[in-house]
Amino acid sequence: MTAPRFARPRTLDEALALLAADPEGWTPVHGGTDLLVRMRMGMAAPRGLLDLTGIPGFGDIRVEDGQVVIGAGATHAALAADERVRTHAPALARAAGLIGSPAIRNRGTLGGNLANASPAADTVPPLFVVGAEVALRGPDGVRWVPIEDFASGPGRTVRGATDLVVAVRFPAQGREVRSAFERLGTRKALAISKVSVAVAARVEADGTLREVRVALGAVAPTVIRARETEGVLEGAVWGGEVARAACDAVRREARPITDLRAGEAYRREMCGVLLERAVATIVDGSRS
Amino acid sequence: MKQLPEDLVSIRLTVNGVVRSLDVHPGETLLEVLRGRLRLTGTKRGCEVGECGACTVVLDGRAVNSCLVLAVQADGAEVLTVEGLAREGALHPLQRAFLEHGAVQCGFCTPGMLMSAHALLAQDPSPTPDAVRRAIAGNLCRCTGYQAIVDAVLAAAGEANSS
Ligand SMILES: Cc1cc2nc3c(=O)[nH]c(=O)nc-3n(C[C@H](O)[C@H](O)[C@H](O)COP(=O)(O)OP(=O)(O)OC[C@H]3O[C@@H](n4cnc5c(N)ncnc54)[C@H](O)[C@@H]3O)c2cc1C
Ligand code: FES
Ligand code: FES
Repeated sequence: MTAPRFARPRTLDEALALLAADPEGWTPVHGGTDLLVRMRMGMAAPRGLLDLTGIPGFGDIRVEDGQVVIGAGATHAALAADERVRTHAPALARAAGLIGSPAIRNRGTLGGNLANASPAADTVPPLFVVGAEVALRGPDGVRWVPIEDFASGPGRTVRGATDLVVAVRFPAQGREVRSAFERLGTRKALAISKVSVAVAARVEADGTLREVRVALGAVAPTVIRARETEGVLEGAVWGGEVARAACDAVRREARPITDLRAGEAYRREMCGVLLERAVATIVDGSRS
Repeated sequence: MKQLPEDLVSIRLTVNGVVRSLDVHPGETLLEVLRGRLRLTGTKRGCEVGECGACTVVLDGRAVNSCLVLAVQADGAEVLTVEGLAREGALHPLQRAFLEHGAVQCGFCTPGMLMSAHALLAQDPSPTPDAVRRAIAGNLCRCTGYQAIVDAVLAAAGEANSS
């Protein structure tokens, strides 16, 4: 690889100041699990590497004012193991625990997964269904962007050149609202998702589903909400006709392409299969 | 960390217990530094994009792909490589178990497998077979079919727990 310049700021302010002074001159790097691959493949040639691994507390996870707040530097391994994440956003903990391999999860971060903006980024469908917001911090302070507005296309986000992704937050909804995540890759480890589905819902005592949210990964230029499917499930009890109608809806709503990982028709079909698994996980969980 | 002329950066790493100071390019990976500069060629270079695990080392207690870590990011860290496993000429119990169970064929994946297994046993001294499989899920082996490797890791764990 070529030899760019390098900085390893010790505080977030220092990192933001460097970026503000020369936005084109610095590319943030955290776990490097996307960026180093892109550099190796000749798809990225940063002039400067702004290393975020030296900032203490950048990956901290806390619960405050009814919100779970996750620092952008939290690794997938940390997310998968964290009790608060497992309680308030089981879909996110599960997705983080399925990413890549143990070594990838030990380095790859939530901030990197978001900033990289792959339509197949596994943390994103769970963040959609728990109603997350992303904190961007630049010279003018922090702004919170709804996760649904964060990515604008494959590899593109609303992050400005002088911003860093600094945190993600979502309501600490406890076990009241449950969430689940399912994905399909070529194999269990080291496979980018061909399709992924996240679902969140509150299950009433008689099994009625409320506040249903469904998000789909890898079947559109960005992760998308499946609102028609949500409409079918809202106020309904899972099973028979409802399940069939929901799976039909989700197959209609997916807008997949054919690429080297999977064909369009297959992806569409699998949206239904993964939806069934995810809703079943939520409904079964509510009974235990 | 000190920035030097021509964009070299001074770093200090503790590799297998020995402090090493060296000047590296910002774009150089930990893998390149271990193999090219420190001549620790036990760590293997495979895909260089995180997909094969041949380059796995233990960085501050965690298994990582050294091909995806910049050497400059490892400044101040402790690195354990396969060369650091044997003590005074005696193989590490994991290494012995790999030999005894036929878990080494061509050997290319072995250093990475050993380091993933080492990181696992440090966190979970009595893993289930499933936990072993998950721990080595990022390490490809084209020879053994994995079962012998899983057996070896479980045997090494059993031996450590009974002694
Ligand atoms: C073998 C392999 C398997 C993988 N498997 C999966 C998988 O199953 N699912 C999945 O979703 N992903 C997967 N990935 C992709 C990758 O691991 C994740 O996207 C990871 O979360 C990236 O985080 P990072 O810290 O390593 O990012 P980096 O590589 O450090 O950065 C990625 C991008 O984000 C920018 N960036 C990083 N942090 C910030 C920040 N705080 N603010 C602003 N910009 C920032 C960087 O400039 C860069 O453009 C895999 C990668 C590899 C190599
Ligand atoms: S060489 Fe690093 S994972 Fe293949
Ligand atoms: S022994 Fe040959 S690749 Fe594993």
